[in-house]
Amino acid sequence: MDRRDPRYGSYGRRPLSRREFLRRSAGAALAVPSLSAILSACSKPGTASSQGSSTPALQYASPDNPVTLPLNKQPIPADTPIEKGATLQVYNWSDYLYKKCLNEFGEKFGCKWEYTTFNNMEEAVQKISSGQVQADVFFPTVNYLSRLVVADLLDPLQHDLIPNLAANYWPEFQNPFYDQGWHYTVPYTIYTTGIGYRRDHIDDAEVADKQYSIFWDPKFKGKVGIYDDYREALGMALLKNGVSDTNTSSQSDIDAAKSELIDLVNNQNSSVDINGAYAKLPDDVFWLHQAWSGDMIGAKWYLPKGTAQDVLGYWYPEDGKGVVGNDCIAIPSSVQNPRLAHEFLNFMLDQKYAMQNFAQWNGYQPPLTSIDPSTLIPKGIVPKSEPMSVVTPQDFDAGYWLLELSPSTDQIWLNAWDQIKAGA
Amino acid sequence: MPETQQQVVAPPPSRRRSRRDREAAVESGVWYPRWYWPSFAAPATLWLLVMFVLPFYVVICVAFGTLDPIFRNPLPVYQPWWWSFQHLGEVIGNFVGSNAIYQPALIRTLAFVFSASVICLVLGYTVAYYVAQYGGRRKGLFLVLLISPFWISYLMRIYSWQSLLTEDGFINDAATFLHLLPSRVNWLDGRPITVILGLVYGYIPYMILPLYGQLDRIDQNLLQAGRDLGANGAQTFWRVTLPLSHQAILAGLVIVTLPMFGDYYTNDLLGSPRTAMYGNLIDTAIGNPGQGPQAGVLVLLLVLLLLIPMTYYMRQTRRAIGA
Repeated sequence: MDRRDPRYGSYGRRPLSRREFLRRSAGAALAVPSLSAILSACSKPGTASSQGSSTPALQYASPDNPVTLPLNKQPIPADTPIEKGATLQVYNWSDYLYKKCLNEFGEKFGCKWEYTTFNNMEEAVQKISSGQVQADVFFPTVNYLSRLVVADLLDPLQHDLIPNLAANYWPEFQNPFYDQGWHYTVPYTIYTTGIGYRRDHIDDAEVADKQYSIFWDPKFKGKVGIYDDYREALGMALLKNGVSDTNTSSQSDIDAAKSELIDLVNNQNSSVDINGAYAKLPDDVFWLHQAWSGDMIGAKWYLPKGTAQDVLGYWYPEDGKGVVGNDCIAIPSSVQNPRLAHEFLNFMLDQKYAMQNFAQWNGYQPPLTSIDPSTLIPKGIVPKSEPMSVVTPQDFDAGYWLLELSPSTDQIWLNAWDQIKAGA
Repeated sequence: MPETQQQVVAPPPSRRRSRRDREAAVESGVWYPRWYWPSFAAPATLWLLVMFVLPFYVVICVAFGTLDPIFRNPLPVYQPWWWSFQHLGEVIGNFVGSNAIYQPALIRTLAFVFSASVICLVLGYTVAYYVAQYGGRRKGLFLVLLISPFWISYLMRIYSWQSLLTEDGFINDAATFLHLLPSRVNWLDGRPITVILGLVYGYIPYMILPLYGQLDRIDQNLLQAGRDLGANGAQTFWRVTLPLSHQAILAGLVIVTLPMFGDYYTNDLLGSPRTAMYGNLIDTAIGNPGQGPQAGVLVLLLVLLLLIPMTYYMRQTRRAIGA
């Protein structure tokens, strides 16, 4: 279990390392730009000449507005031979993929692998676009896809090489709204955002009754935490205020959500962190924490010896009206081993390996049709005290996405977040 | 500081040598060409150029630069005639005016750094004084003990503080057992005292070492002379020891204060947004999409702020060397 020491081994989708000292390499990347950035500075940056064309029109995908990402080129032919003696370069969040899966892939296809990590999408995109990282497979979030395609940073997929998607995955993800016809991505994991709590201090019924407003209950002062993620944190405050548009551009709604969070930080002494749910709830530091379902499934690994699994609880709205999301796997245009990369995507969509990755390491559920929610608890994959952490297709019918925002709307969100983080 | 040291150590290169001097030097066999002594500064100059001047220029170019239109990553603008001061205006508007969302963090930073520096000075001076005056044969041991925390990474030490300071941690155990506290305190939920003490803990060795260096060099005869002239212990301290350690106090304060202003991880690990400091503003801006230039502006403003104590220190040092 020390492989997941909460201090270093981060785990889950947005890992602890965000808080790590070394993460500041992102800051260094900002201070010392790549050679290409320097060279491209011969003309005024940000203007047409340095980008090749005028500012492209981005498409903002949503379930009501499905987007077909433009094909920049043709996928590789299906009879491309498998590269021999190659090293597959994987670029992913840290500790977001079971090493055993990588080893088995290497054995099966006679290749080596290298796992390079990033700590947030900004860092990842910066390194991919500047060529600092040349990967064969990459794990982007949905809200970055249209920009990645417009910047020509992804390669289209050859569907014939990835039969497992149609064979094994939910129909919702055969033709997702963010990438109609799955030209560029396959799904990796799905999750909901709810409330993780300690059942030895708080009744299930109390959480279900008070819902999000339980964070503001003075009883739990000093025992609460939210994610250090502006979309998730403000999104929850919006839902608490009864605003169901989690992508709103309304200044007044966002201001109201901001006030709620400032109140939470100042008067409930809320923590704003990234490892609070999966590492610190098990440690009994917090009693209540905003939580991704996958973090709560993984949290069982962090319980101190002798603590029963059923102290952990997870609440998500009964009617499914909460925040949902998924992560993807894609092939960046820097790919050196395109056939191997396709094989890897297909491999990760294989029932056996997707399940192994989910159950033995990741905690984040793949949208496999073969997963029967009712069997996850008897098998011990999901603690029986957290039935709501199992993600179902119904959640995706009713849930709210955190979608890509236009720059001006994003700015409203960021200004609010800035103020919360500055302790105003 | 390196410059001032050079002034003391380097042999004085005479800039204008008369022909006769030169002939005399050639005769004695120790004539050096004019570039000889300055060339010794080349490695340091190069290092300074590559590791400081160039990166710093890039920060300026980021601060006055723009964003790429797709990902809104910062794009540095290297040509000053294209610099935009829009972000500078935005950030200043966040410190003063009707939307001064950064102002509480700035005031907090000044208060935290001031308190932590004073505590560092008082504690550090006491320790350094004791080791220098009464360390005797164990001086070496004391010094090793003082430096030994450096063997463990700061991050690791703060993590161990985290577990000591939790509500069921050892600090609360001890304090409630000894009835120092009526009930357990959650030290980590964003308390100024925790962050200030964290800063003190992190930086106090940097205060002790220069103080010790200076106090250890004080001539014991001067102290005895003070006593001989009728001063008591306290008076000797105020009128002899303290003035003699003035330079070290300044140096120690500069060494601990400057990095404290940019510190963000102490608050990250021991506080919450309630105790956010200036460094956290920079950190947040770097992490937020589209706010790279703001981060650059914040860095520049901090540098400007820190120039004030730095200039004071340089002038004091120059005066002390001149005296």
